[in-house]
Amino acid sequence: MNIVEVDNLTVTFRVRGGSLLLFERGSGMMNVVNDVSFRIREGETFGLAGETGSGKSVIAWALVGLFKPRRGSVKILGKEIDFRKKADLTYLRENVGIVFQDPVGSLNPRLRVKEIVKESLVASKNFDKRDYDSRIEEVIDLVGLRKSCLVAFPRELSGGEKQRVSLARALVVPKKMLVLDEPTSSLDVSVQAQVLNTLRELKSKLHLSYFFITHDINVIKYMSDSLGILYYGKLMEVGRTYDVVTNPKHPFTVRLMSNVPGIKRVELQQEEGLSERGSSPTGCVYSKVCPKAFEKCVNSPPMFNLGSDQYAACFLHENAAIPSPDAKARSEA
Amino acid sequence: MTESSDKITLENLLNVRGLTMDYASVDGRVRVLENVSLRMQKGEIVGIVGESGSGKTTLGLSIIGLLDKPPAEIINGSIIFEGNDLLKLDPIELPHYRGTGIGMVFQEALAALNPVYQTEAQLRESLEVLARAQKLSLTTEAEAKMMVDILKDLRLDNPEWVLKKYPHELSGGMRQRVSIAMAIVEKPRLLILDEVTTGLDVYVQNRILNILKDLNRRTGTTMMLITHDLMVASQICDRLYVMYAGRVMEEGKTDAILSNPKHPYTQKLFAAIPQGFVDSPPLPAPIGEPPDLRKLPTGCKFHPRCPFVMQKCKDIEPPVFNEDGRNVVCWLAEKT
Repeated sequence: MNIVEVDNLTVTFRVRGGSLLLFERGSGMMNVVNDVSFRIREGETFGLAGETGSGKSVIAWALVGLFKPRRGSVKILGKEIDFRKKADLTYLRENVGIVFQDPVGSLNPRLRVKEIVKESLVASKNFDKRDYDSRIEEVIDLVGLRKSCLVAFPRELSGGEKQRVSLARALVVPKKMLVLDEPTSSLDVSVQAQVLNTLRELKSKLHLSYFFITHDINVIKYMSDSLGILYYGKLMEVGRTYDVVTNPKHPFTVRLMSNVPGIKRVELQQEEGLSERGSSPTGCVYSKVCPKAFEKCVNSPPMFNLGSDQYAACFLHENAAIPSPDAKARSEA
Repeated sequence: MTESSDKITLENLLNVRGLTMDYASVDGRVRVLENVSLRMQKGEIVGIVGESGSGKTTLGLSIIGLLDKPPAEIINGSIIFEGNDLLKLDPIELPHYRGTGIGMVFQEALAALNPVYQTEAQLRESLEVLARAQKLSLTTEAEAKMMVDILKDLRLDNPEWVLKKYPHELSGGMRQRVSIAMAIVEKPRLLILDEVTTGLDVYVQNRILNILKDLNRRTGTTMMLITHDLMVASQICDRLYVMYAGRVMEEGKTDAILSNPKHPYTQKLFAAIPQGFVDSPPLPAPIGEPPDLRKLPTGCKFHPRCPFVMQKCKDIEPPVFNEDGRNVVCWLAEKT
């Protein structure tokens, strides 16, 4: 069963050309997330990888209702969310929790850990006040924090402990799914390893599903069952993690996977134009920097179903595509 | 500053010997560096790796002499740069070394750059330092050309555009390259890079590492790369120093350390990097958090987290054992 179904999600930002100027220059709309569709199966982790600025966090924030999508639908446990309805947002937040990237910025510096975690309980209204303390202690233990942390202020905790507090705040009201927005990118490798281990334990213990964002391919490979690759707001490739990592189809994914730093020393590759804005308004967003781009790429390619759950948004794989009702619907949209 | 230039042996550009340093805080004294020895040869890229709080940045700052004293207090040791002990130098002499002798790029480019000046003004400041040191007088045109050239060297596609921008208008990768430009335009003989790729994504990170490696090959600039990320260090460094709790735990050629880490701490750092897929076993993470420098254990400072701990480790801090040209501070390396 799918816990999350996202179809044609589009989030638009108003952008201004000349910053710091009072005049609006080149003001316009920009689709920071464009026509993104994916599924998250119950009990699985869906990983989303991409460069800085590709829109990963925007999708995460949209999933918990912090950004309103301009188009597209988000279904949580089969129920379509209308982002304008307060009841729907409450339903969304009761089922989906979020851990943000920045452990310093996401915890109120003036509250003690206990109060930070309690806020979620108060907001949910499903808990009796008398049960607050026992529930908080239970969840603190669950995420691997010492009881003594409860009276501490965020500044007295280490980076790993702060992320565990965020995790406790998200889980104190039981959730079906967690959105994890680069939860370990600010941590040392050894602390990161401990937090990743905890996340995997919690997932099986509480039957959680994760939406996991990171730019670290080693981490996402280790954490996720399926994987989506995002480039400038567009999904380039979606599939089972093993397939996408070992047999990438889209030229961008190929490039990404060849750049993964390992313990072994690899000769650095020349990287040209990868991070420069190279999108053309109608065509494939990657076409300007793609080494294999050809004429057809000026039209934005649809997602092609390549079998075994792997999809790629690239005309190179048009012939290998398996026609399926799903892919047909995507290309028509 | 060059009266001792004849003393410079071509090989040793920097030689730190037994550097021991305290921070005197309100809660008491904290030993942040203990007997740190390090040498760098001309043209080398040396990596300093370790977790937060291991003393990497403190080491970098003490070499360039940017630590406030107090709270910092040097207890022992020497920092010999081009034959001169920087710690014994008259404070008036130090500015002659900064910038043109030893340059530094800081971790947070946004904090390191002045938010109210355009790139142009910030680079000009560096050029003035260079002009003073080399007794040049640069015309505005010459300055402009140098600025464009240095930004081009750092593979910024549109240098003229970047020169007119304020720090907040640039992306993280661009910003970091501007702060690297500020350091290298002064042509330092030693460049200290403190976590220059932290917070950037892998692609921009690779790009910056490429640029640094390329710069090292072309100009022979000696570099010290401070990072918590072993993978970053392993990409471009010739030699690595692994630090823990203010001490150097292991030192050696990058390839040798990568293929055969000897210190259990180095081994743990490697093991903590996720390698497998979702069905792989949990990561063998070191137990506990990085050490609290105020409450360091007796003996080897890593022993509470070490899987191979022996009674000896708890009692006596191990000395440096030299083994196949590598230095390891661990009792396991004794007489093997």
